[in-house]
Amino acid sequence: MPDFSLTLEQESLRDLARKFARTEMAPHAAECDRTARFPEEIYRKAYDLGLMNLNVPAEYGGSGLASLEQCLIVEELAYACAGMTTSIIANCLALEPIILGGSAEQKQRLLTPFCATYQLASFALTEPSGGSDAGGLRTRARREGDHYVLDGEKCFITNAPHASLYTVFATVDPNLKHRGITAFVVPRSASGVLPGKDEEKMGHRASSTGTVRFENVQVPTTDRLGEDGEGFAIAMRTLDQTRTPIGALATGIAQAALDHAAGYSLKRVTFGKPIAEHQAIQIKLANMVQAVHAARLLTWHAAWTIDRGAKGTLESSIAKCFASDAALAVADEAIQTFGGYGYMKEYPVEKLLRDAKLTQIYEGANEIQRSVIARELLRDYQ
Amino acid sequence: MDIVVCVKPVPEAETRLRASSDGSKLDPEAVKFVLAGYDESAVEQALLLKETVPGSKVHVISFGPAPRTEEVLRASIALGCDQATWIEASPQAPNDPLLAARALARAIAVVHYDLVLCGKQAGDDEAGLVAAAVGELLGVPDFGYVVNLRWDAGRSRFTFRRITETGEESWEAAPPCVIGLQQAWNDPRTAKLPAILKSRKAQIARVPPDASTSPASSVPERFELPAPRSGAKFIEYKTPEEAATKLVRILREEAKVFP
Repeated sequence: MPDFSLTLEQESLRDLARKFARTEMAPHAAECDRTARFPEEIYRKAYDLGLMNLNVPAEYGGSGLASLEQCLIVEELAYACAGMTTSIIANCLALEPIILGGSAEQKQRLLTPFCATYQLASFALTEPSGGSDAGGLRTRARREGDHYVLDGEKCFITNAPHASLYTVFATVDPNLKHRGITAFVVPRSASGVLPGKDEEKMGHRASSTGTVRFENVQVPTTDRLGEDGEGFAIAMRTLDQTRTPIGALATGIAQAALDHAAGYSLKRVTFGKPIAEHQAIQIKLANMVQAVHAARLLTWHAAWTIDRGAKGTLESSIAKCFASDAALAVADEAIQTFGGYGYMKEYPVEKLLRDAKLTQIYEGANEIQRSVIARELLRDYQ
Repeated sequence: MDIVVCVKPVPEAETRLRASSDGSKLDPEAVKFVLAGYDESAVEQALLLKETVPGSKVHVISFGPAPRTEEVLRASIALGCDQATWIEASPQAPNDPLLAARALARAIAVVHYDLVLCGKQAGDDEAGLVAAAVGELLGVPDFGYVVNLRWDAGRSRFTFRRITETGEESWEAAPPCVIGLQQAWNDPRTAKLPAILKSRKAQIARVPPDASTSPASSVPERFELPAPRSGAKFIEYKTPEEAATKLVRILREEAKVFP
């Protein structure tokens, strides 16, 4: 029989994240959203508590958590603020290529000192010419003796202006398409690494998103992950791992929207009774809670699949795609439940809609998720 | 310095309470239990003393049923306590301060200690009796409502203040003694993720329930939630003078607070 109960250890990890989210993050969520402030003091505290490098094995100084535990934490953090959560978990995305593609020597040399102090890293894949068409990226890596020279520009990179380390995907030969893509680890301190401006965003405004230019950046061959041409596979395997926590992040937004809507519906009185007693609102709440439960269970199932050692491409794509669509729909209905107040910035629900929207776009747009889901599905019928 | 901290699991402040089906106690299934607030301060104070007095050890002890009692012991270990003892209580055991104090004192009597720290009271029954009863049972001095607890190494004395109804008292006490703590120097710390993971594997000494335990000093008959309070009254006003006039009239004529 499937068992949906959490272990006491999992509960205590979730409690830690919940306490941090509600005492440290939530009180600053509205302010950071309004001013687009990057609350580095909160990220530093998250690091101090071990809530940052969740996926890095403990032997390299990370928290060494399995996917399900990561999801429990990410949902709690996102319940308080999705933008801050994106910045807190960006290290997981940026470091996963090293975990998956790095040699033992590289992991020791690159991960251990990085995780020993508070530092941010960025996953630099997307380019101005396209994100979903990752095989067509244009950043060049030219081999010159014992090093490569990187040239190109990356965009929409989480934490880019604040990162001290980048995992960069570049091509050794554009004619090879995805078979030319190669992964590198580049420190911010390398000459020619030029982080650009912070983008002004619709949501996730406590997070920082920017461009990075690489101008004649020399990268020693020892900082290449895997071999030439293995970068695309490393990127895809990375996203197989990190997609599921995005499902959890979206579930956290959806749960917050539901809680706000249900709480408000019991207090707001129209036609002589709380709106929770009007069937129109009950139907909304009933639909919202179904979406939240389904999003969480699909996310847990994907995490469980991955934690059993399977690739989980289908499951994690389903979880990410469904949960992010659910987050947008539930946030939308939460605003509708609040009526005019919901549209006002004074109330917390409009932020949830703006935050939810990004979860349909980043870490693989939902259109890509659906094409992955269909490909995986049809394989069973061929 | 050997410090013993007594802790108790209590319902989380935000938990929704419900009576058990026979109405005799809280339904434990519906409740999330956490380390009691003042006990969290006691743990924090013990760890602060440990950090200032080299060679100190903090031993946390709790009396209660599974699984909640083991959980607050693990939470205490995650915070930095060195050793834990769980005195098992049967699930039917009443929530009784004297029963708890006897069990705790029996376990403490067989270890070396310089200081026993308890929260001044627990957030469930708010009885505030355990620290004093443990002190009496151990036959050592006990002090309640303590703040500002320090160790004066030169004179081998604890110094502290007691908050009383009439003001603050300054005290000093030689070890061993029992202290019911009102507040630590710092806000209680938060356990870090690696420490939480490590605490799951920590050894917890188990003391089985004592069959000869004397009966509880009190047994609750019924547990019921208080009736919901009627709504607040809002005074409509245009000027502060009008608000004050209306408020005084209500206080005098309706609430009869003053003639």
